[in-house]
Amino acid sequence: MARTLTLATAVTWLVWATSISAQAPASSAASAAAAAPKRDLTGVWMIRNPAGMRGYAGATFTKEEPEMTPWAIAKYKEAKNTNGGQYDLETTNDPVVTKCYPPGTPRVYFHPYPFEFIQTPKYVLMLYEYDHAIRRIYTDGRPLPPDPDLTWMGTSVGRWENDTTFVVDTVGFNEKTWIDRLGHPHSSEMHVTERFRRTDRDHLQIDFIITDPKALVKPWTSTFYAELRPQWELGEISCSGDYLEFKTFEK
Amino acid sequence: MKRFSRTPAILAISAAALFTASGLALAHHGAAAFDTDKMVTVKGAVTELVYTNPHVQVHWEAKNEQGVSEKWQGELTAPNKLTRAGWNKNTLKPGDQITVSGNPNKNSPHTLWIRKLVGPEGNSLPLFED
Repeated sequence: MARTLTLATAVTWLVWATSISAQAPASSAASAAAAAPKRDLTGVWMIRNPAGMRGYAGATFTKEEPEMTPWAIAKYKEAKNTNGGQYDLETTNDPVVTKCYPPGTPRVYFHPYPFEFIQTPKYVLMLYEYDHAIRRIYTDGRPLPPDPDLTWMGTSVGRWENDTTFVVDTVGFNEKTWIDRLGHPHSSEMHVTERFRRTDRDHLQIDFIITDPKALVKPWTSTFYAELRPQWELGEISCSGDYLEFKTFEK
Repeated sequence: MKRFSRTPAILAISAAALFTASGLALAHHGAAAFDTDKMVTVKGAVTELVYTNPHVQVHWEAKNEQGVSEKWQGELTAPNKLTRAGWNKNTLKPGDQITVSGNPNKNSPHTLWIRKLVGPEGNSLPLFED
């Protein structure tokens, strides 16, 4: 079941990588941009990074390798990702591809599907189309739990830093996911900070700060860009599903 | 331009040439199962459109050089993405004449990762959301 997604995931990713590479940088499209509404991220967004990031941003956060601890370097060497074309259906050990595991935070941003913010008085929901991943970001003033239960997407709290910047801190990850599609590992001590900056009505800048005392020597930082898609609605994407049978076809 | 001639029904074009012409570039190779150096084009009649997760599947039949009908199948992207590009489950119906271009699967050359699909009305159908 899960193995069948290998190709689907890889192909989707490649199609996405080629399609975004044909587009102009998000920033250059901002002619006469409407102002961002105050303290409101509501809507459907799609990652659209500028052309200069195309070489890596479909798969990882930065062009350069993050500074990893020996523990993380050893784990990273075990990763057999599907992005370089070296590992196929039979040989990859990508947990999303081989087991249909949830992508986790922050890897979910490397799956080429939109996400949606829904704001309520006490929390913000983030719905990711890819495999129905959901995050509940509490905005009622509660602190991060000191000893959280471990989950795929983590436990999140958020606050408005100013009228257009929403800052989310997330902790409490299990160790079954990769940080990105290349297989950079993390531990349960990972802390992900996302600063969602709505630079105008149609554009969102996401600053990532990833810390993990067990895996990273210093914080891993990056900035991704998303665009509002007012006409889009999230649909159903499941990792599980039937897939074209290659081996028995034509036999 | 490369030649890839399994049958006269299959036209061969180099993937590199296509991407250059369309302004696209393959930044990475993620689809190890497909031969992205080859692009084949096949004309035939739709037998089934499977509008499903994780990826939409198209099945069709095409005649080979001996005039014998052969089965082909191909993959598109996820149904959500096609829906946003204007598709639905009835976009292709059995009997519709289509021309499909794509990269062949390495182990199953009649299975394509579809890169272009000309529909029954002669126009190239959008395969991606914007």
